[in-house]
Amino acid sequence: MSTRRGVGLGAFTNRNATAQSYAAHGSNLKSANAASLQAQLEVFQSLLHNFALEHAATIKSNPTFRAEFARMCNAIGVDPLAGSNIKGKKADSLWAKVLGHDVNDFYFSVAVRVVELCQATRAENGGLIGLKECCESVAKGKAIGGGLQVSEDDIERAVKSLEPLGSGFVILTIANKRFIRSVPKEFNTDQSTVLEVLQLLGSVTVSLLQVNLGWERARAETAVQDLLADSLVWVDYQCPEPEYWSPQGLLDESD
Amino acid sequence: MAYGATGQPQPSHEDLPESVFKKSYNFPPFFSPQPTSLTRQAQLKKWSEFIQRYCRHYRLFQLSIIDTLQSPLFYNARLKKGLSLKDAKAVIEYMASKDGDERAEWRGPEKAVAWIWWRKPEEWATLIVNWVEETGQKGTVLTLYELVQGETTEKQEFYGLDTEVLQKSLNTLVKKGKAQVFGTEDQQGVKFF
Repeated sequence: MSTRRGVGLGAFTNRNATAQSYAAHGSNLKSANAASLQAQLEVFQSLLHNFALEHAATIKSNPTFRAEFARMCNAIGVDPLAGSNIKGKKADSLWAKVLGHDVNDFYFSVAVRVVELCQATRAENGGLIGLKECCESVAKGKAIGGGLQVSEDDIERAVKSLEPLGSGFVILTIANKRFIRSVPKEFNTDQSTVLEVLQLLGSVTVSLLQVNLGWERARAETAVQDLLADSLVWVDYQCPEPEYWSPQGLLDESD
Repeated sequence: MAYGATGQPQPSHEDLPESVFKKSYNFPPFFSPQPTSLTRQAQLKKWSEFIQRYCRHYRLFQLSIIDTLQSPLFYNARLKKGLSLKDAKAVIEYMASKDGDERAEWRGPEKAVAWIWWRKPEEWATLIVNWVEETGQKGTVLTLYELVQGETTEKQEFYGLDTEVLQKSLNTLVKKGKAQVFGTEDQQGVKFF
């Protein structure tokens, strides 16, 4: 009995000591790794800073250059837009730190214009806008001053910057063309198919869908009527059979 | 140019300026009333904006609907599509409503001719008052002819303004006590305060 108790106490003491040793060692490893990582990040930021300073004017004025710079940041896991416009905090984004607030404000200005445009045109296009059309319209807007060019990539980045707000704005692709969808309602398979055909042909009829897709009349009719009800197509009755048209491209009149 | 019942020129179907005839004019469904109410509202708004641009461009102050049905305004010769009389009246009806910002006004219960307020009488009045003040003519008597046909106003936007529209705009000032109109039918004068 006394022998067993002694062994127990001894084992306990040994385990404790061992655990402490392991913890200390692990802590040392973490510190060493963290220090190394921090050093690497600092080197990276320093190099990025120098690069950005050297090419600041180009980044501001050239959409392609700006996009490539952003891609480089993203490849390394740095979000150029994160940390901006947080009230009461000085957590400037990488963009803001490196280039001042010009480029950062640029993206938020673009985002505001996109939101305004989507709201203003929702009744005519059902909340679906081509990225190209959106880009052209935003570029014409007065909110973006200084003659800055706006590219589709800029629009896409601006839309993604809205995600933290739960905006419901998403980028989707239809027939190899990029769109902004600002209405939180998904398309079913048939609707998507009709939208794809519309991108290729501009307009469709029920007969055309029956012949080319092998659909029954009721199925084709349902698909186009659903799109019509959601303002995603307009209808022309002044022809042998009603023609359903995509309203993309009417944006020039909303300004 | 041909002339309609109101004696106004009807523009040709060729050489349509892009600043007036925008993309929706070449969008076939634009000429069919849309069955979805939200789309219909967007369509009516576009029609209103188009008609205002058209009338502003051609300096038209009123439209006879029937005479205009075959004009470039309501009929697209390239698409061979146009508004029916019923649909054209529906557009003007919208423009005359509060929803349409009262950009039109029917001239009579038969609803055959309508004023098109691409600039409302009170908006014209503002332009006139500004000019009178800028030229230091407050308290001076000016003839109505002088206001819209005189040499001194040739460069002003209200030069050539329709006589009845001028009357309406001056009436908005009279009601506010900012102007006084006097004289007989064909020799009227106005004084601004």
